[in-house]
Amino acid sequence: MRSLEPVCAPGREFESIAMERFDHQSRTISAYAAYCAYLGRTPGAIGDWRAVPPVPASAFKTHDMSAAPRGSEAVIFETSGTSVSKPGRVRLGSTELYETSLLSSFERHLLPDAARLPAIVFGPRRAEAPRSSLWFMVEKVVEKFAPAAVYLVRGGEPRWSEADSVLKRAESRGEPALLLGTTLFFMAYFEYLEREGRTFSLPPGSRAMDTGGAKGLRAEYEREEIESAFAHRLGIPPSHLVNEYGMAELGSQFYDDNLLAKHEGRARLSGKQIPPWVRTRVLNTETLEEQPDGERGILVHYDLANVDVPLAIQTEDIGFRIGDRLHIEGRLLGAEARGCSLPFEKFLAEGRA
Amino acid sequence: MSRPLDAFYLPPSLAGTVETTTQRFGPPPEPLEIRLPLLTPEQLAHWIEHLREARAKRLASRPIAATLRSLDRVVQRYLDPRSKQRREAIDALGRTGTFSAPMVSQALDDAFQPLAHGGLSRWLTAELGSARALDRPMPGPGGTRRRAHGPEWMLQIYAGNVPTVPVLPLFSALLLKSALVAKTAAQEPLFAPLLASAIADVDADLGACMAVVWWKGGQAELDRAAIDRAPAVLAFGGESAVTSIAHAARPGAAVVLQGPKVSVGYIGAGAMRRGSLPSLAARAAHDVALYDQQGCLSPHAFYVERGGMVTPVAFAEALGAALDAAASRLPRREPVLAEAASVQLSRAQAALEAATGRVTRVLESERGTEWTVIAEGSARFEPGPRHRVVRVHAVKDVEEFARAVAGAEQFIESIGVEERGSRRERLESRLSELGIPRITAVGSLQRPTPLGTHGGVARLLPFVRWTTLEKGSAPRREAAAPKPKPKSVSRVKPKPKLKSRPKPKSRPKPKPKPKASASKSSARGSRRGASRPRRSR
Repeated sequence: MRSLEPVCAPGREFESIAMERFDHQSRTISAYAAYCAYLGRTPGAIGDWRAVPPVPASAFKTHDMSAAPRGSEAVIFETSGTSVSKPGRVRLGSTELYETSLLSSFERHLLPDAARLPAIVFGPRRAEAPRSSLWFMVEKVVEKFAPAAVYLVRGGEPRWSEADSVLKRAESRGEPALLLGTTLFFMAYFEYLEREGRTFSLPPGSRAMDTGGAKGLRAEYEREEIESAFAHRLGIPPSHLVNEYGMAELGSQFYDDNLLAKHEGRARLSGKQIPPWVRTRVLNTETLEEQPDGERGILVHYDLANVDVPLAIQTEDIGFRIGDRLHIEGRLLGAEARGCSLPFEKFLAEGRA
Repeated sequence: MSRPLDAFYLPPSLAGTVETTTQRFGPPPEPLEIRLPLLTPEQLAHWIEHLREARAKRLASRPIAATLRSLDRVVQRYLDPRSKQRREAIDALGRTGTFSAPMVSQALDDAFQPLAHGGLSRWLTAELGSARALDRPMPGPGGTRRRAHGPEWMLQIYAGNVPTVPVLPLFSALLLKSALVAKTAAQEPLFAPLLASAIADVDADLGACMAVVWWKGGQAELDRAAIDRAPAVLAFGGESAVTSIAHAARPGAAVVLQGPKVSVGYIGAGAMRRGSLPSLAARAAHDVALYDQQGCLSPHAFYVERGGMVTPVAFAEALGAALDAAASRLPRREPVLAEAASVQLSRAQAALEAATGRVTRVLESERGTEWTVIAEGSARFEPGPRHRVVRVHAVKDVEEFARAVAGAEQFIESIGVEERGSRRERLESRLSELGIPRITAVGSLQRPTPLGTHGGVARLLPFVRWTTLEKGSAPRREAAAPKPKPKSVSRVKPKPKLKSRPKPKSRPKPKPKPKASASKSSARGSRRGASRPRRSR
């Protein structure tokens, strides 16, 4: 497996690798080449990685934004569609660097103590959702780090009673577990537990990665609410609940600092870690000029783990950055309940399929 | 900061019983303080009982004319620039930051003008045949007489995207002599309570039958307390909200759900003339700018025929100029960051499509996200992120448009049409085949007539239960027998319901023409007691 070292090793500046990637991508992805030419920002015309044109995340719905030859893809991820638009497609010829990036970030933030825990996946096996970048990631994590795994979605159906028995077993055997899933799915399970009047107390060292809650369309849950549900229903304290932010268009993910801080015996830092091989620019929503640290704006990610697809992605997400920590905001409460108007809601509550 | 505004309305008899909480609402630096009742499911259930009783006592059997008179006065007040009600509405809605004052002013005019000068009664007549069918049996089709009953009470759930969304629904409940529990929208919880208290101010009986309140979505127990009991539900909302209401409503309830939709414009080649281009573009820009495309009547795209005196791209440019001009006349609401981010994303996407050939021009406001016009060489249906982002599609003809929207018709609320003379008629006739609920003129998209429908569904009829009084008729063979004795014919099936009806129906009929009387008798405009079969000419 290729290491990320050449990417983040001292001496190899982000700048030079980014420009190399840009040069390659703007030559091999024809729609991207046309876009750069249209904007007058071709490799020869720009001198700074910040001028690399980011493609709108929506581009994957309308254009082939991949350098991978058709038919030779290692994976094809789909982004969520809406009632009137198709899902986007992210075609990757190789997932080597992608995997290196995701495993490295996951390990750092979820397993800083090098624990190897059986996984309880609140979601499907990848075979059931072959186009999902999330379940791809989970599969890779399980393969690499988990001695065993249980998947609680089969045939598209949640298996709550199985979840009960798996958690009960972990509890009675005193075996800490690694829980992986989407925030909404966890919360749905907790609602079920509430109806059943059931709680678990997982052994110390148990931990959970939840994803989507900060960015999902249904910003119905405050973070505190989620944390207290994990603590109350499963006995997983906030220090062991790590929220992840990712999207199908990006090879890299961003994690909360809770568990790492606990492990390092320091206070947790707010926001999410921007991996060393990623730069996130925060742009003023009206002028598109770069915002100073701490000021909110549109998030544009420059991710060196994006090899076959453009490294620069313009999102619809709002947040701010302080140093290498990213603060992502949930969407406005009620953004979904727009009444007799668009936008049509996304079919999937998560930001990625 | 001024005194908190009440973001709820309760009849005086209930208002004293609630505890309230004050919340901050609206954008900094001057958020509004609003008062909301602390609500429990038990309390809501109690309100509903209370409103039902009030309705039985004060509304169910009072003549419709009284309600019409009162609501007409309310309409007049909202149209009067000096009235307290109008000023309060403009002030409150302006302060929520949802819409600028000129826009609220326009919204009030658009909502209330069509209801003035007999508009309310025309609305009832259009749907029920006669307003008085709500009081007593009135002539109906085919010689029948009919009496209309509204539901005992209605649950209405509003959307906050256009400030005057609650007007017609709220009026419709009262016109049907129904009590009303209305849940307002989180984005705009102020206008509906103001409207309810304006009504109560004019007519205490009507005021006694309404409760208007907001509670946070996702409070399943409160939602259930309302939806489980409601005999009638009218809800505006997003797809998932509307779907969950559909599932929760009690069996047999009359339920009308208005999900998300948009509107479009279609401009025929005949209307693409140099001289009229600025005015056409100004009207199109008005439709786009008003409410910043938040509502279902807002156009997201104009389909413009090639082959006129000016090109579709020239129209796009004129539309851009007109949107620039509209910026000062109808100032936009500052989009929140996530909304502006969506506009920027759609601009970037348009630039990508311009680079790869689909889009011909991307026109943008000089600064910021004020407005965006995206000109394309062909038709497609892809609603934008709102906030004055509009597409102009060059099309060959209406068939290209029809193909582009095929399958998405259910997402289109109305089409604003511009064309000249007989071509316009042909165009409208073809467009009407698509089943889109409303066809109107460019510039009038935001001003639907109450006589039309919303989402293709009538505003009153879905909630009406009818009592039909049939005349009774003999089996056809007997009726057609030679030398019928009218007396015996009319007694073949005496209907108990007919007892109270004025007698001289069939007996004094000078020349019985059974067929004509069965099919031709017209309801419209005929008076009580005058329901004798009319002679056909």
